[in-house]
Amino acid sequence: MSETVVTDLRPLAAVLVSAIAVVFIVASYRYPNVREGWSVLAALAKFAIVASMLPGVMNGTVYKWSFAEATGLDFVAGVDFALRADPLGMLFALLASFLWIFTSFYAAGYMRGLDEHAQTRFFAAFAASLSTAVGIAFASNLVTIFIFYELLSLVTYPLVAHNEDSEARIAGRKYLTYTFFGGGVFLLAGTVLVYWLTSSASGTDTATLEFQAGGIELLTEAAAADPAIAQAAFYLLIAGFGVKAAVMPLHSWLADAMVAPTPVSGLLHAVAVVKSGAFGVARVYLDVFGLEFPTAYPLSVPVVGDVPLNIPVAILAAFTLTAASIIALRKDHLKRRLAYSTTAQLSYIVLGLSMLHPIGVLGALLHIPAHAFGKLTLFFCAGAIHVETHTDYVSEMAGIGKRMPLTMSAFTLGAASMAGIPLLAGFVSKFYLLIGAASGAEVAVYGLEATWLWIFAASLIVSGVLNIAYLWPVVYTAFFESEDRHDAKPVFEFPAGGERKSYGVLEGEADHDIASDGGSDDSTRKDRYAVNENPSDADVPFGPGSGAGSTAAGENPVAADHDDTDQDDHTDEHHDSEANEHHETDDEEHHDDHHHGGAPLGGWERRSPLTFAESTWLMLMPITVIVTGAVTLGIVPDYAVFLELADTIVAGVTGEGVL
Amino acid sequence: MSSVELLPALLVVVPILLATVPIALGLRYDRTGWSVTLATTVGLFAGTVYLATVVYGGSGTNQEVAVIHELGGFTAPMGIELVADTLSTMIALLVTGTALGVLAFTRVGGPRGNTFYSGYLLLVGGLLGLTMTGDVFNMFVFLEIVGLGSYALISSGRGPEAAVAALKYLIIGTVGASIYLIGVGFLFMATGSLNMLDLAATVPTLEGQNLQLARAAFAFIFVGFAIKVAQWPLHSWQPDAYQHAPDGVTPLIAALVSTVSAYALARLLFTVFGAEFIASTPYASEIIVTVGAVSVVAGSTLAVIQTDVKRMLAYSSVSQFGLIVAAYGLLTETALVGALIHLIGHGLMKAGLFIAVGIIAIGYGARTVDAYAGLAGERPFVAGSMAVLLIALVGIPPSIGFIGKWYIAVGAIEAQSWLVAGVIFLSTMLTLAYVARLLERMYFTPASALEAGHEDTATVGHAVTDGGTATVRGTRVTIGMLAIVIFVAALAVFLGFAGDAFFALLEPFVESADLEVSP
Amino acid sequence: MIELLATRYAYLLMFVLLGIGLYMTIASQNLVKKLIGVNLFQTAIFLFFVAVAYVEVDGEPGGSPVVPATENPASSDLILASPLPHVIVLTAIVVGIALTAVGLALIVRIYSEYGTLREDTLREVRADE
Repeated sequence: MSETVVTDLRPLAAVLVSAIAVVFIVASYRYPNVREGWSVLAALAKFAIVASMLPGVMNGTVYKWSFAEATGLDFVAGVDFALRADPLGMLFALLASFLWIFTSFYAAGYMRGLDEHAQTRFFAAFAASLSTAVGIAFASNLVTIFIFYELLSLVTYPLVAHNEDSEARIAGRKYLTYTFFGGGVFLLAGTVLVYWLTSSASGTDTATLEFQAGGIELLTEAAAADPAIAQAAFYLLIAGFGVKAAVMPLHSWLADAMVAPTPVSGLLHAVAVVKSGAFGVARVYLDVFGLEFPTAYPLSVPVVGDVPLNIPVAILAAFTLTAASIIALRKDHLKRRLAYSTTAQLSYIVLGLSMLHPIGVLGALLHIPAHAFGKLTLFFCAGAIHVETHTDYVSEMAGIGKRMPLTMSAFTLGAASMAGIPLLAGFVSKFYLLIGAASGAEVAVYGLEATWLWIFAASLIVSGVLNIAYLWPVVYTAFFESEDRHDAKPVFEFPAGGERKSYGVLEGEADHDIASDGGSDDSTRKDRYAVNENPSDADVPFGPGSGAGSTAAGENPVAADHDDTDQDDHTDEHHDSEANEHHETDDEEHHDDHHHGGAPLGGWERRSPLTFAESTWLMLMPITVIVTGAVTLGIVPDYAVFLELADTIVAGVTGEGVL
Repeated sequence: MSSVELLPALLVVVPILLATVPIALGLRYDRTGWSVTLATTVGLFAGTVYLATVVYGGSGTNQEVAVIHELGGFTAPMGIELVADTLSTMIALLVTGTALGVLAFTRVGGPRGNTFYSGYLLLVGGLLGLTMTGDVFNMFVFLEIVGLGSYALISSGRGPEAAVAALKYLIIGTVGASIYLIGVGFLFMATGSLNMLDLAATVPTLEGQNLQLARAAFAFIFVGFAIKVAQWPLHSWQPDAYQHAPDGVTPLIAALVSTVSAYALARLLFTVFGAEFIASTPYASEIIVTVGAVSVVAGSTLAVIQTDVKRMLAYSSVSQFGLIVAAYGLLTETALVGALIHLIGHGLMKAGLFIAVGIIAIGYGARTVDAYAGLAGERPFVAGSMAVLLIALVGIPPSIGFIGKWYIAVGAIEAQSWLVAGVIFLSTMLTLAYVARLLERMYFTPASALEAGHEDTATVGHAVTDGGTATVRGTRVTIGMLAIVIFVAALAVFLGFAGDAFFALLEPFVESADLEVSP
Repeated sequence: MIELLATRYAYLLMFVLLGIGLYMTIASQNLVKKLIGVNLFQTAIFLFFVAVAYVEVDGEPGGSPVVPATENPASSDLILASPLPHVIVLTAIVVGIALTAVGLALIVRIYSEYGTLREDTLREVRADE
């Protein structure tokens, strides 16, 4: 497909607009309304800039801004610092900037609702994250994407460590370690290898790292001369991006990063950050190595024979999406359950790309927005529940549908989308993924044995079923169970058929455990009626060290100190005064993630969905919009731009579209 | 002799001569030291900038653009030359620029007193001499002048610890310089010359016994400089010296002394001996690379376990110089450019970091990692600048730290030295280990949780109470100090876009080094 | 080997001296003795340079550059020791004196602060603080 490259400032402007907003956000730290105003303004401006390029990009125009052209200097010798808006970049940038608009409203509502500390830092880092995410989308070569990838790790760190307690700090450390290992080590090493390969191939000292739809030509030449290095570069790059895409075994930072405030978990750890990893994998497959490379230079494995390079990646992805779904079944903490769901869903994308079939790639690309809309809905709902009722655990949510009817309805739709129920976004993308797997199996092209593809298709379906298994109980308990009469959750932990009791956040509830694989912590759990006992007896775990043992709550001096605060929180229904209370009595190290929720004495209050009284409009409006988006993508994918955009990308890589 | 050719000599001689002035005037007037020093440093900086315009304005090979001064009119190879070529001019710019910044800091931040300013000028003069000398023995003399200046400045610290640290540095440093002198003796035996360019022409022609002598000379020179550059396991003087030196002195020493020594090592390796000599000497390249790589790992590991911030940054220097030395040993053009860029970048970043540490000690009374808790809230500007510099040190783009690391990494891959490449890539994580520790303290640990740590430092008498009102020695944080740190931080980021420009400026030198041409 | 030692014994002695100096620097607990060790170390290097400068033509030793020297019968040149190392040694001695002075000044200061010159005692005193 012919491309017209047009020099344009807009890609740069799209990146910079929120970076500049950071300055204003910090400067107006005294005036929260003005500060949040800047956030919203920057989000709108960013979306407007990105959207303004959309028609051009759809018509085959590529907008490009290059540091070298602007200043006459390369960034480092032989490598330009350049941003360009091509279809693949547009897909990601459009998604991130669109969702940011609503997230910035939601974040305002969430942070105010909880009266969080350091809000200026939060909003500044949030804006900076979006800046770098769009930078990743528009990066035109490996060095540029590396720069933004590193910066993204850096600016999201304050968001993960936001709570400033030891749990958040440990999560932050883990986050930094994983992401910088991925970025600073793997990705940089892969980039340098590609640089070296292309420079040695050209014979004229000119290296290139510039993305090229269908693969960098020089690299293809170089790979012929030195396949081993090219293979190493391929795996280094995939591993570098795979860290952020949370492909096992590099996934465990994601669940821990859930200590961050929910808007962060929502937009960043379900959309911008993790998708930047998946997006990077897409770049590597489509624009660096090309779809032919993995089969052209297979690994020769003893016994098995030649294995195309994409197969190990696909196997890991298939394993991840199954295993993460199973782990999610066992998670009682809603956000953690969603985090493992994210881990699984991201692997759909990686798997779809790794199948190398055009339809599979299309499905994978479409799954980027489809998952984003669905998962953002779920996170927003989880956050709204947290703000309103301080309930974080699925086992405490029995009957919460009465209290938050709209929120839980949206949650239901989002969950259905995750599971791939037709008429919702998740169905469309999974449909293409399955078609890709199946039709790939028909023709057995792109180096994949038909059997592999059937296995992958099966794992997709199994995971879909598991999706229902771990998300349906939430819906079920919210709407169809009552506070005093409900099954124990997570369902998986108890005898088949369920058990008529439940437990809440027990002493040392080891979901805070670093291991967080859901295995080792069971012994410390005790069954308990969440409703009938006084909730303030439960422990406030202060990090994995102090709370990990089986120390009873009352014996824990730290927990005892906070008991009165906790009671305040629980007896007080109205979140405004609750927040004040919280603020006054508690000026240090106390975090809302640690409040134990559950229904107040006497059960949930019933609030009508028609009066919008269940939460503030700042939170309900984004939830409504995003869930509408998920439905729209599912019902009329042809009219939502993403399908067409994904097809354009596939057409750019393979020469013709699949639709 | 045109006026430009006089400049290199003036840059060296003027500060050394004027170093006597503060003491002499001090007999009558108390407060002249600062103005004399300021005037001198500004003059030096202006002179260097002018020199830079001449050197970089010219076109041609490194020799053609270089400004050369023959001392006393004695021509080379017998006379001593001062050479300002594309590389030494850049280092001279770093020296004078940093000296100016640090001087501004000491105006209020201390130490003060005429003897301090004398030592200061002596050190700057020595550093400029070390930068520009074209004679290997003259290099020894300047090495010792630099040493004298630093020993004096370090011992001007208040506590008795400073004297112990200075003595330790003196003994180890002198042994290092003396070992270098032995190397010079062997080189002289082999070639009969001391002029660098003359040596560069002679060394490749050596054979037989003379070649063996030159190799022995190489070994001694490398070991001597390994001490001066503080390579593991010869680094032990450095953490003490950095930690106990007065806050106004540490930035200067940390940013310049080891940097200029590392520059001198590059000069000797690539101008005097030449890449071919190193490549043909068995194990030479491997040893250099190993020493560097081990220093990277050891330095970072030791940095992680330190409690004192200055000490931590000192070990960080061991590790960063390890990266530079390893890059020297790779013997590729790209790696050499990377090493030189990292040399300058590291100097800049460390100057900024140590000034920030000084400001924090004055204004916040914190010297240990623990005491840095909650700093971001109390002192947002200095904490922010420090964070930027630390992040640049890790090598996160866009920053000068990344540029250096990128070129070194590319060079390592070009040399197909996979082990070194691995260490370089891992160095990101190693650096991150101690940087993140400090960042976490500053930003994500509330001060109240660690109140006790504060009182400890306050009672030691280093600075002030938490409120920042009471001062011990009349020192306080001024806007100017903050401006310096913020400027350095901004510069570290800004230069991150100048990778190509650096490459172009250094290219004449790198080409003259005549490495195997690699893409 | 024997012949080498017989003719180059100056180098051998010089390296022995170098070793003694270095050993003293490292092993002695007394700070002043350490400094003396450094001086010995440097002096060995000076002697090395002096030895380097020595020339001999046909068994005829070269003279010092400043006094009238024997003439080379073959070429009618004067046989002179190389003057450059002498200049180096003179300069290095000056540098060495300056360093020793600074070192001694530091030692005086350490003594007045801690009341000891022994490194092990010093370590104990500092550890107590």
